[in-house]
Amino acid sequence: MKKLPLLPHAFQKLGFILFLPFLALGIASIGWDFEFPWLSYKVAHTFNQHIIDFDTQNLTDEIAAVGNIITMMLIAFSKEKTEDEAIQFFRLASLQWAVIVNYIVLIICILAIYGAGFLTVMMYNMFTILIIFNIRFRFVLFMHNKASV
Amino acid sequence: MKNKIKIQRAIHNLTQDDLAKKIRVSRQTINTMESGKYIPSTALALKMASVFGVSVEELFQLEEGD
Repeated sequence: MKKLPLLPHAFQKLGFILFLPFLALGIASIGWDFEFPWLSYKVAHTFNQHIIDFDTQNLTDEIAAVGNIITMMLIAFSKEKTEDEAIQFFRLASLQWAVIVNYIVLIICILAIYGAGFLTVMMYNMFTILIIFNIRFRFVLFMHNKASV
Repeated sequence: MKNKIKIQRAIHNLTQDDLAKKIRVSRQTINTMESGKYIPSTALALKMASVFGVSVEELFQLEEGD
């Protein structure tokens, strides 16, 4: 079978090491409006769809979001120590599982949450597929390893 | 799908670890295949059959419902 492209195993360790600081930064930034003062820049953003406006923005939350996505991608799509076809199968199955669970939860949220609250749902929804996938995949690998002890 | 991996392993006096190294998978994967929880690809089934010197049909048999 043609193997799917994956990063070397070392990237997974890097992902695990960097994930917690970025998660902490994300929580601090959302929960307590934490900002690094030296990350304030004048950035361009579109205003009223057509006019480009320049505004001073603090990039702490952007860096936290991008950092969380990249570290979770590193954890998800790096080779395991002994990568074989069973693990590739578990990875794909977990991805399918995560997409289904994510959209079931999203459908419930669409029907149950309205207005500004829904923006919060969409914000978390940017990360939920990767979060659910990583939890499911690690759980399946844990059971795979445990079953053969 | 039924399989005779465990029996063939015993005949050839191989541990799960020995077989895993020969066909380049993890020991856990051998265990999962033996218990029928994971069905290997054709390539892996052929590799295992060649290690044991048997045909794939001797190693794997379809069950009702497959």
